Amino acid sequence: MAPKKRHLAPLLLIAPALIVLTVFLVIPYLNIILMSFRTPGNGVPYGAGWTIANYGKFLSDPFYLFQIANTLWIGVVTTLVCLVAGFPVAWQLARGSNRWRGLYYGIVLAPLLIGIVIRSYGWTILLGNNGVINRALIGAGLVDGPLPLMYNGLGIIIALTHVLLPFMILPISSALQGVDPSLEAAARSLGASRAITFRRIVLPLALPGIQAGSMLVFVLAISAYVTPALIGGLRVKTMAVTVVDALIDTFQWPFGSALALALSVIGALSVIAFARLTRTKWKAP
Amino acid sequence: MGQRLFASYCILIYAFLLAPIVVVVAASFNAGAFLTFPPQGLSLRWYVTFFENEVFMRAIRTSLFVALITTVISGTIGTAGALYAVQFAGRLKEAVRLAMLAPLLLPEVLTAIALLFFVYAIGIGTRTMVGMIAGHVLITLPFVFINVSAALESFDPSWDLAARSLGADRLTRFRRIMLPLIKSGVIGGCLFAFIISFDTFTISFMLKGIGTSTLPIQLFDYLRTNFTPEAAAVSSLSIALTVAVVLVTEKLLGLKIHRF
Amino acid sequence: MTELSIRGLTKLFGATRAVDQISLDITNGEFVSLLGPSGCGKTTTLKVIAGFEHADAGSIAFDGNDVGELPAEKRDIGMVFQNYALFPHMTVVQNLAFGLEMRKRPRQEIQTRVAKLLDMVQLSDLAERYPRQLSGGQQQRVALARALVIEPRILLLDEPLANLDAKLRDEMRVFIRELQRRVGITTVYVTHDQAEAMAISDKVVVMFGGRIAQMGAPDEIYDRPRSREVAGFVGRVNLIDGKVSAVTEAGCRLRTGFGEIDIACPWRPANGDSLTAVLRPEAITLAPTDATGLGWGGRVLSAYYSGNTIDYRIALTDGSELQVQTFPTRRFQPGDAVTVMASGASFWPLAEAS
Repeated sequence: MAPKKRHLAPLLLIAPALIVLTVFLVIPYLNIILMSFRTPGNGVPYGAGWTIANYGKFLSDPFYLFQIANTLWIGVVTTLVCLVAGFPVAWQLARGSNRWRGLYYGIVLAPLLIGIVIRSYGWTILLGNNGVINRALIGAGLVDGPLPLMYNGLGIIIALTHVLLPFMILPISSALQGVDPSLEAAARSLGASRAITFRRIVLPLALPGIQAGSMLVFVLAISAYVTPALIGGLRVKTMAVTVVDALIDTFQWPFGSALALALSVIGALSVIAFARLTRTKWKAP
Repeated sequence: MGQRLFASYCILIYAFLLAPIVVVVAASFNAGAFLTFPPQGLSLRWYVTFFENEVFMRAIRTSLFVALITTVISGTIGTAGALYAVQFAGRLKEAVRLAMLAPLLLPEVLTAIALLFFVYAIGIGTRTMVGMIAGHVLITLPFVFINVSAALESFDPSWDLAARSLGADRLTRFRRIMLPLIKSGVIGGCLFAFIISFDTFTISFMLKGIGTSTLPIQLFDYLRTNFTPEAAAVSSLSIALTVAVVLVTEKLLGLKIHRF
Repeated sequence: MTELSIRGLTKLFGATRAVDQISLDITNGEFVSLLGPSGCGKTTTLKVIAGFEHADAGSIAFDGNDVGELPAEKRDIGMVFQNYALFPHMTVVQNLAFGLEMRKRPRQEIQTRVAKLLDMVQLSDLAERYPRQLSGGQQQRVALARALVIEPRILLLDEPLANLDAKLRDEMRVFIRELQRRVGITTVYVTHDQAEAMAISDKVVVMFGGRIAQMGAPDEIYDRPRSREVAGFVGRVNLIDGKVSAVTEAGCRLRTGFGEIDIACPWRPANGDSLTAVLRPEAITLAPTDATGLGWGGRVLSAYYSGNTIDYRIALTDGSELQVQTFPTRRFQPGDAVTVMASGASFWPLAEAS
């Protein structure tokens, strides 16, 4: 029994992961921060020298500022819709009968198994002017002409909601399952109605899950690429699409980096602000 | 009444979740040349076209190859990392957890860009698959970690003490007590890794070399210009493949649904 | 058959002395209980004997050989855990076979020994079940069998009955003791249940705060406790304070607030000394007030009937209270005036100052 020696060997377990993360995540990210301060190149991705003009370029350009605002707006709305749509499902998963639970989990997880391109593609079939939804609505006589559901923010929100719903449902369901059902029974025995029990006992205790789900959905929504690219088309672009355009299509590496970093920083700040605002005083078990 | 309203609401959401999948699969059987739903007549012609399409076939092979390698790498270092975090990390546990989940919390598009610049900076560019596979490993690592550490958390330490009291050394305890009991976590994590790698777009898109293509990229390219149901056929096959992998693994090795 | 020798055992957790200079000897085949409240160090002591914790000072020897440097896997112990710790992915048979596989016994021998032990714990027909398919009592017996099948030098049990309901606990403690007698193995048993410890042990070691408060046969601990804490822990107790009013041949005369009584004393007290004596509730009898002038006057404060006994609280003339336990042959009600009687021999003086 040599306790001292033992402390080193387990580090071997975490070493490969740490090496991979450092080499392929930390260093590249540091590099990207560097890249955002380089001067743009002519015919090459970047030039020699350093500048902060890249940040200035988009902070002073209303076009980009509008894009950022639009992207954040899409993120917020998507998160809210996911919350409203996802909470009841999360509730059913957590509290519903055991018999169907496997099936419900399957349905919730199914979109995750399918692949982002296919999912977005499915929405193009559904949302187009000649798509399933419009043809059904026109056929049923509910509208005269096709509703514009594609190539705009609305379509992106609908499709993003579909993609991100599982990420809202699962954390909330997990948090709800962690709420001891005897707490509700205690509240009811003290005279609280179902509604009050829900609002004052269950909801606060499930808040960490709601928080986690909301933050996850928001971050994923503002940095999504495939879905806005396919649904928004050329008319509506979110930040991620603009960034990729800048990099792949026009080779403006420094500018693209600055845009991408700005997006991430804004996203991170929003999440931190949200976490602060919805912070609970007591620690969840 | 409230119950029924609730139930209908939930059913609506479930329908919403399944809609695009149903639509895509149905559209793939369309006999006509245009992408319509409901399909005008049923036919398998688009599946046939797909199988004859060498570009798509090559893309599938590439996707499978990358997914396999990614799963092996991610599965190994993710499981090792989870073992460390739960058993040995002590006070560092939260920090290790955060590090392992980091790729999930950072935007995939940013990670892709960062990797792209990095591979150029170190000189290998996108000529090799190193960059792409590194990216795939990064985004699948958190899922392996989550699954394996969930299985490890439900491991009762008194089982290890009991095995010690009966005379088992460290290796034997790991092999005969720990491994069988975390098996489902490891398998689940690897399954997630495989599927995520197979279906991921952004990382592959940014880091692919000239001439290589994964299935999602090929599909994406195709969708921008073509409107035939062939894409629907491809998609349906991809879905079928994924479902098959899940079912086969479930049958052969047994799985439990883990909490997210 | 192994002798266990512990000398000056000390274990620290940070600044806390969980185990403080424990020394004791356990002979061949003896059944010893470590008894005490939570946090007294009994479980830590057991873990150090097992090898799961390293002692900070002191030594442990099996048959004279120091085992301090041996890891748990090599000490040849059999341990029964509080939550049984049965391997969930193995059947009962596989659980039992595990220890023998570690000892590289041939398959034939493993089969025979496992079957024999399953028979001893009466679980032969549940051999192929998994732990989750067994009841608490059955799991307990599997845990016991698994520890015994390897024929270890020492059997260690960590509050094995804590998770069973009362009736099963009573049955199982007898079962464990009978099995241990049959096999004749040196045993250390940790519990906080004093009735359990006293019913089945050859020797009881009472521990408080990491130290041994008193060690001896069960009747010694119960009838002749050495301190208030030991007296109070192993059963219900009345502590009678008084002064020595006269020294007698066998002991002394104790003057209390409610009367005088001649008691036996193992040492020679001096006149005027303060003394506290222990008097057990079941050693007191109650009679209606109109009995002869023996005993002391009192009034019943409360009476609780529990089937085979009645527990009373009686107020004495000086205001002090006595706990009394009697058979239900005669029942008194709260408010009744009674005569309280106890023989001098039932009083046991405590050696320490009150």
